[in-house]
Amino acid sequence: MTDQPLRVGFAGAVRHAGQYARVLAEDPRVRIVGMTDHPEVSQWITQDGKALCRTLGVPWIDDPAELLQPAAIDLVIVCSEPTRHAGMVIDSLTAGLHTCCDKPVATDTAAADAVVRAAEHAGRVCTVVNRTFAPSLRRMRSWVDAGALGLPRHVDVEFLTSSAAMGSDVERADLVVDPALSGGGEMRNFLGYAVDAIRYLTGLEISQVYAETGALFDGPHGAHGVEDTAVVSLQLAHGVTATATVSRSPAVPTLGSAHSSIRLIGSHGHATVDDETPRVIHFGPSGAAARPVDGGGGAQAVTAFFDDLIRCVALGRHPAYTVQDARTGVAVIDAAYRSAETGQPVGVDA
Amino acid sequence: MTVGVAVIGSGAIARDHVRALAALDGVRVVSVTGSDPARAAAVAALAPGARVEADAATAICAPDVQAVDVCGHTADHARWTIAAGRAGRHVMVEKPAALNLPDLERMIAATSTSSLLVGQTVRFQPAVAELQRQIADGAIGTPRLIHVTWYVGHVWPGGWRGWQHDPSRSGGHPVHNGTHALDLLVWITGQTPRRVFARSFPSFAAQMDVPDSFHLVVRQADDSIALVELSYALRQPGDMLRRLVVTGTRGTLVHSTADDPGLVSAALRPPPASIEGAFDRQMRHWRDVVTGRGAPVTTTGEIRAALAGALAAQRSLTTGRPEQVDTALAGDRP
Repeated sequence: MTDQPLRVGFAGAVRHAGQYARVLAEDPRVRIVGMTDHPEVSQWITQDGKALCRTLGVPWIDDPAELLQPAAIDLVIVCSEPTRHAGMVIDSLTAGLHTCCDKPVATDTAAADAVVRAAEHAGRVCTVVNRTFAPSLRRMRSWVDAGALGLPRHVDVEFLTSSAAMGSDVERADLVVDPALSGGGEMRNFLGYAVDAIRYLTGLEISQVYAETGALFDGPHGAHGVEDTAVVSLQLAHGVTATATVSRSPAVPTLGSAHSSIRLIGSHGHATVDDETPRVIHFGPSGAAARPVDGGGGAQAVTAFFDDLIRCVALGRHPAYTVQDARTGVAVIDAAYRSAETGQPVGVDA
Repeated sequence: MTVGVAVIGSGAIARDHVRALAALDGVRVVSVTGSDPARAAAVAALAPGARVEADAATAICAPDVQAVDVCGHTADHARWTIAAGRAGRHVMVEKPAALNLPDLERMIAATSTSSLLVGQTVRFQPAVAELQRQIADGAIGTPRLIHVTWYVGHVWPGGWRGWQHDPSRSGGHPVHNGTHALDLLVWITGQTPRRVFARSFPSFAAQMDVPDSFHLVVRQADDSIALVELSYALRQPGDMLRRLVVTGTRGTLVHSTADDPGLVSAALRPPPASIEGAFDRQMRHWRDVVTGRGAPVTTTGEIRAALAGALAAQRSLTTGRPEQVDTALAGDRP
């Protein structure tokens, strides 16, 4: 590792760009050189990006070619709307840059395959933001690896988030519900987390998916023809099963803004974990609020992910979570959409 | 008025029923009928004055019997419920009510002049009853997403001889125990299941015809969605994790047995406080129904809906496909 900070640029600066940039800005190994986007994108996208840059004190670069090149930066964070992710990642890799993409890496399997090929050809670091560093998930994996649970037989993942979180400074509602931008609804947005967790815990691939989806709540999803909720049944190798529930609803069972929990039944034990526990609960005149230790699992997952990414790039290593892992998630999500459309269980495109 | 009750069956559930009935004012267990006379005698001994009756038909028609508690194998439920109904007796039948919908229709018809209560004991568990009350009171608006996690240790008696392991006698696991969860959905949401997809994992023995664990993805009539995970595969008998999450248009209700009061002791391992006393409450309710002080909490429409959903789930396990729920018979008894 050299003494020079890693030079990071953002391609696209919407959705979670602010959260990621703040994490990176606090890392002394990193210098955020600037943010950019293609000039032909909708004006509000560049306006949001410029506003974020002003907030962070980071330059906005009008010409992407000026920023997205090895002479200027070492690592690109692709943080556009999801439907442009794959193309921007491929452009970045083709330019010879290490690349990290916000999730999902692509909004269809073919595009994800193209990213995998580009990554293989470029030989640069290519990974996707994920939650496999969440302490709760790591804790459960350690129990599996210790043999305490025997063979995993069933995993249940629940990821529930609040409608109130939409439209905040990190997430315009349209970026989630307009399929031209998001590539789908909350299943496209969140099911990848569940797939990652299930594969991380079991070490098994998902072969078949059945999904029931719907716009169950009175939000903007229905008007855009996308789901706010998905309940998914998954078949894994060796007869192992998994279930996943992802939803955005008005009242989430959490003292924060999102609920993420996992239950695992093994041949020799069972376990539960929750991103909000352990926690301390504060009771005040206006009610209760959770104070998860160390900021909670969701925040810690992002911080730990970028910490590992920076270390990997600096040392010339590839992160454990590869773009192939992300591609698998996209393939499962695509299968879930096909299942919801056909009303039948669907095989996953391996 | 003291209600005379004939109990048909002498297995583990019949034992629970007799114990609860014996503790009730206004109820007298008249007889217990079972295929094993010694076991029937042991169960009858739990209720002072109860006799062992070798023949169920004789027990049902005895002049000092006004109500019949049908336990025993599910395959026998229809026969004894119909016989009791035709004899003018009130009936409580253990869940699942029947192995098929035509049998259930005959049971409903036969008890049309008396009453029929299905032993959906879960409705009488304190936490579930509270959940239902709050939903009925509008606490969360309209339920739209329901997640039932129900993991317990292996509870079935009889080893490989257990009739529960024979789908022709128990209906399969989605019918035998899945009826609990499906009835719960029907009751708390006021909806009927429309389409069910089932997937199993036989964790204790892959060769079992009745898998000890399965999950259901349920689409209800109003397009709401439910996930039911049911596992009888936790490692230790007595282990239990049951978690209910009901998200509505205005709120979410959650209950988990993990939040119940806890006792860690080698001397005693009680069931979670949130489920205790359910049999006693159920039997008290039945007494009130029989004595005209209330209507059965399980309406005929709900019974049909839960069983139809469970039967569809069992078909789905076999076909590997989602199955439409037979709703042709939906609706409450006039």
